[in-house]
Formats: sequence, structure tokens, C-alpha cells
Amino acid sequence: MRALVTGANGFLGRHVVAALLARGVEVRAMVRPAAGLEALGWPSSVEVFRADLRTSRELGRAFEGVDVLLHLAAVISGGEDAQFAGTVVGTERLLEAMATSACRRLVLCSSFTVYDYSSIGRVLDEDSPLYQAPDIYARDGYTIAKWWQERVTRRFAERYSWDLTVLRPGNVWGRDHGYLAILSQQFGRHHLVVGPTTRIAITHVENCADVFALAATDARARGQTLNVIDGPGERIWTYLSDYMHGSGQPGWRLPVPYWLALQVVRLGFATVFRRATKVPGILIPGKFESRFRPLRFENRRLRETLEWTPPLDYQQCLVRTYGPAGDRNRALGRQLPSPV
Amino acid sequence: MKAALIGAGQIAKQHLSCLRTLPGVELAAICDLSPAAAEAAAERYGIQSWFTDHRAMLEKARPDVVHVTTPPTSHFGLALDSLAAGAHVIVEKPAAPTFEELEKLVRRAHAADRHFIEDYNYLFNRAPQEILRRVESGEFGAVTHVEVLICLDILGPGGFADPNSPHPALALAGGAIGDFLPHLASLAHLFVGAHRTAQAVWTKRKASVLPFDEFRAVLDAERGTAALGFSSNSQPDAFWLRVYGERMQATANLFEQRLTFDGPRDVPKPLRPFFSSLEEGKTIRRAALATLLGKFKGPGAYEGLWELLARTYLALADGSSLPVSANQVLAINRMIDALKPKEQRR
Repeated sequence: MRALVTGANGFLGRHVVAALLARGVEVRAMVRPAAGLEALGWPSSVEVFRADLRTSRELGRAFEGVDVLLHLAAVISGGEDAQFAGTVVGTERLLEAMATSACRRLVLCSSFTVYDYSSIGRVLDEDSPLYQAPDIYARDGYTIAKWWQERVTRRFAERYSWDLTVLRPGNVWGRDHGYLAILSQQFGRHHLVVGPTTRIAITHVENCADVFALAATDARARGQTLNVIDGPGERIWTYLSDYMHGSGQPGWRLPVPYWLALQVVRLGFATVFRRATKVPGILIPGKFESRFRPLRFENRRLRETLEWTPPLDYQQCLVRTYGPAGDRNRALGRQLPSPV
Repeated sequence: MKAALIGAGQIAKQHLSCLRTLPGVELAAICDLSPAAAEAAAERYGIQSWFTDHRAMLEKARPDVVHVTTPPTSHFGLALDSLAAGAHVIVEKPAAPTFEELEKLVRRAHAADRHFIEDYNYLFNRAPQEILRRVESGEFGAVTHVEVLICLDILGPGGFADPNSPHPALALAGGAIGDFLPHLASLAHLFVGAHRTAQAVWTKRKASVLPFDEFRAVLDAERGTAALGFSSNSQPDAFWLRVYGERMQATANLFEQRLTFDGPRDVPKPLRPFFSSLEEGKTIRRAALATLLGKFKGPGAYEGLWELLARTYLALADGSSLPVSANQVLAINRMIDALKPKEQRR
């Protein structure tokens, strides 16, 4: 079996490549023309295909002999238009190329960000409501791009009768990616922690990559939409403590109850910012809710459909991310320990 | 009046944000090679229809005005087709990669009795308009010299200097800086008129995919002189406009709301600098607040585009003269042509 992986040198992509290789899948790794790959240490069996989804004319060749596409590429920095062009237009071009090939199987990396948090009751699962147009356009560039990417992909899959699996990871964390935007509002080294006892939707990058490799190889994943989280999640205060401890980042933490912070944001919005057109997300109630709203997260469908359990538990993930506990203690007040 | 856009990228959003506030303007259609980009813009701005083929759009939507907001190298063909379809055309700068193509567009528009407008948005920002008002009232005195210097970091990997995907502006004479020449030339032309002679220096300080990252020029023009520049290396980002008159001088940063004047003052001469500095400080503090508020609301540095479009649609509706004339477009583009690096000038 041969898989084409886009975004293969990204934070998640490099682990997906490793997870596929571990399952005996041949990998063609698509990376941008100027990407440096030396540090990844890929074995020679990984076939590197250099292309830029926005402009390359040779995308069709990438699908030669490919049985399954794992589409992970997305632009996560830059302005809204750069993200739309890279993520959505790039996906259109990639899937147009796929339509000219014999490949009929596709695993898309979507995101929790497509869910409309302000319309969800208490539990977020795969049946929770998604954003709708035109409300989606009031969201940030990343959310718009990921929402459109899933929309475009579903349309292609329907038109060409492809076997599509949509995986929606929660917040992916791992080495050098310990901090998550949902943890707090940062002020320099200090943190305003909104709803410190809230549990967060997280998946360690190695666990998440394992789901992608499993979904690509397991027929039960076909036609499914699955949220990817490791379990009910840690509490924000615990996770943030582990992050600050593990990464040796000193700083103060000020806890604020979610309901109190939301009332302050609502009041500010109603009195000052309602007429403003360009306001930082945290000051807009809808965006504030999608970042901090306390919900219960479910991965039951993932567990039941693919009989998946995370290969690494939280303690093992901490070691993978920050090094052994002894190192982490020594790292307090110092730089991140070098990779083990 | 039915408006349509070709190109649904970043600058199109500025046009659309403005157009939907204009009375009597109907957003009829948008076209982009990417179906998702076209459909997303249509959904977001309430545009009636979207297309991926501009000819199909021109035929079905029959727009009165077409905005060409694609990368610059595609402007010529799209503008020509739009004129042929009987529409007035507003083209993002630079309207055409060469002067010959630009001239052809202006001639074609004239022959078809349609208007052809290149977007010189910064001419219509508050600062240049206020300076112009004082010049016209006689308060400023005759303009002797104008300096325009854009400092903008275009060497970052995400934009013009993207190592993965060549930016379309790199095909222009002067590379990415060529994309900014219409801003420089239009402001010079506004204050000192058409150029007679021009000397330009194009250099490169840092290794990148850009052919040049620094540009300076000196011009002798009808009513005075001009010094123009673009620096990719000087920080922070700024868009300096300095106008020197026989009675007053003006300084503005067009990326912000800063605009200060210095002129005659009814105090003993040795005290003039003291009072001038006090007043300048007060003006800058007020501008700082206006700049901050502009971050929350409105078009920000694109205020000139909104003003230009509002005036254009008003003029098209009542038949009065347009804010940008064909002769102005020709003179500005002649100036741009004279500034292009010699080995790339076509």
C-alpha cells in the first residue's frame, strides 16, 4: 500500500509519516520546494515529492501508484487570504489532480475549529453543529480556511464517489508545541487563565498520528467523520502547570471563572466594541466562547469505530514532550531540555 | 449601477467592503479561477452570482463597472475584455506591466466611450487631500518639492519573497518594488505634475528572490522636483510623504493618521521652532489616538480606496468628471516607465 502525505514535514505530518512506516505503508511525502528535510531523519524508503499546492503544475504525478491520500497540508500563519489561498485553493488544485488519477481513497485532516461552539449544548461530538455561511466569515482566517477545506473536500468526494474519512483533531500538542491558545490569555510570561478547571480537547501528536495511519489502512474508517482526542482531556490548570514546569517557563497565573470573564467580554462588546469592525478575537463574545467555553468532549465514535485507544497515556506524553520528570525539574527557570 | 469583480483575493475584499456601503451600487457578480474563492466572496458580501470564467461573467451579468483585482500580469487581457463588453473598468495598480499595454487600454476605453481608472488609492487618503486643499487655497504657497518614501519589509518568506511559489509581481520591471511604483509616481504627479527628466537607482542589499530591494529616484517635473524611494530594509514600516511649499511644509505617514504642518507663526523668530514643536507634538498625539481607533473600525490605510470608489461611482452616476482622468493615468505611467530599471524597461 502506498500513501501520499501532504504537509508531510509539518508538526503532525512528520509523525504521520513515521506512523505509516510503522504500519508497513510506503510513503510519498509531499513537501514545499524550499522545505529543509535533514532534521527529520526520514529513511531512504520515504519518497519525497516537492511541490507547492498553490502553483505547482505537476500535482497529477504525485498520485502515480498511490492508494490513499492523507491530506494534512494547511497554512497556519499569515493573513486570512494567505491562509485561504494555501489551504482552500491548494486543496482544490490537489483534488483536481487526484480526480485525474486512479486514487479513490482520501483521509482529510480537518479540525475542531469547524464546530460552532456557541451553538453546542454541553457535549461536543461529531453530531455537534458546524458553522454555517455567512456566520463563518465573522471567524478568524484559520477557521474560515479549515471550514472551507472540509467543504471543498466533501464536494469532491461526493462528485467522484471517493472513500473519504474526515478526521477532526482537537488541540494537537507535543515537543515544541506544548503551549495552546485555549490555555490562557498571555501577557508576556504571565497568564490570565479563563475557567481553570475546564477540561480541554487535546491529542498528543504521536497519538493523533496513530489515528491517521490507522484510518488510512482500516476499511472501517471509510465514510466516517471522527473527532480525534485522546480522552476527556486534562484540566487547563493541570496542563498549564505541566507546560510551565516542563518547558521551564516561569510566570504568574491568574485564574478567572469562565462565566465572569464572558460577562465582562459581553459587557465590553455591548457598550464599546459592537460597532467596531476590527477587534481582537478575545473581545468578541463568539470568538471568546469558541476559545474558552467549557464543554465535555467525546471520542466515543473513534473508540468504537476503529477500536482505538491512545498508544501513549498522558504521563508518557509529558515525557515525550518535555523529557523525563527529573529533567523537567532541573529545567525549571531554564531553557527547554534538548531532545532525548 | 451593476458592479462586478474579477479576482477574489485580498484587495478585492477592500473593494467589496467599500462597494456594499455605496448607495445605488449592486454587487452583481464575482469571478475567480478558484471556485471556492469566488463562492466564498459571493456568500460573504451578498454578491448575486459567481463565476470561474470572466467572459461568461461579462456575458451573463452585463456589469456597468468591472473591478480588475487579480495579480498585475493578468490585468491587461481582463481589462480589454471588460471594455469590449461595454463596462467601465477600475483596475488595481499597476494597471499593465508595460506602458504600451497601458496606452492601448486608455485608447480602447476612449474609443468605446468608457472610463478606465487605475487605482491610485493613496491620493485620496486624508493627508494628501488636506495638503492639496491648503495648496489650492494658497495657504501652503506653491509646491517646490515632494518626497515619497515607502519603508516596507517585503523580504519575509510569506509574501513577495516566497521561496516556494514565485509571486506574480516578480514578473514586473523592478520586481516586487514595481508593484509600488504607481503609489510613488501618483503622489509625485499630484503635487508637482508630469515629469521632464528622471534618474533612478535600483540596488539590492540582501540575498533573496527579489531582483532589487532598494529604490531611489530624483525627478524634475512641471511644477517642482520629487524624490521617490522604496526601502525593504529600513524598519519600521512607514509611508512617508513630505511636501515642501513656499510658505509651509507638510509631513504625513500614510500608513497612519499622522499629518503635521509647519509654517509661518505670529511669534518672534527665535521662538518659532519652540512653538512649532509644541504644536507638532499635540497633532501627533491626536493622530496616535485616531490611528488606534482606526485599528478597530473602518478601512484603515485603505481610506483612500473607499474615497476613490465613492467619488468614481458618484461621477459615473451623474456624469461629472472622474477623480482619476485618462491624461493623469497616462502621465503617471510615463513617469513609472522612466523609473523602471533600464535593463528591464520594455
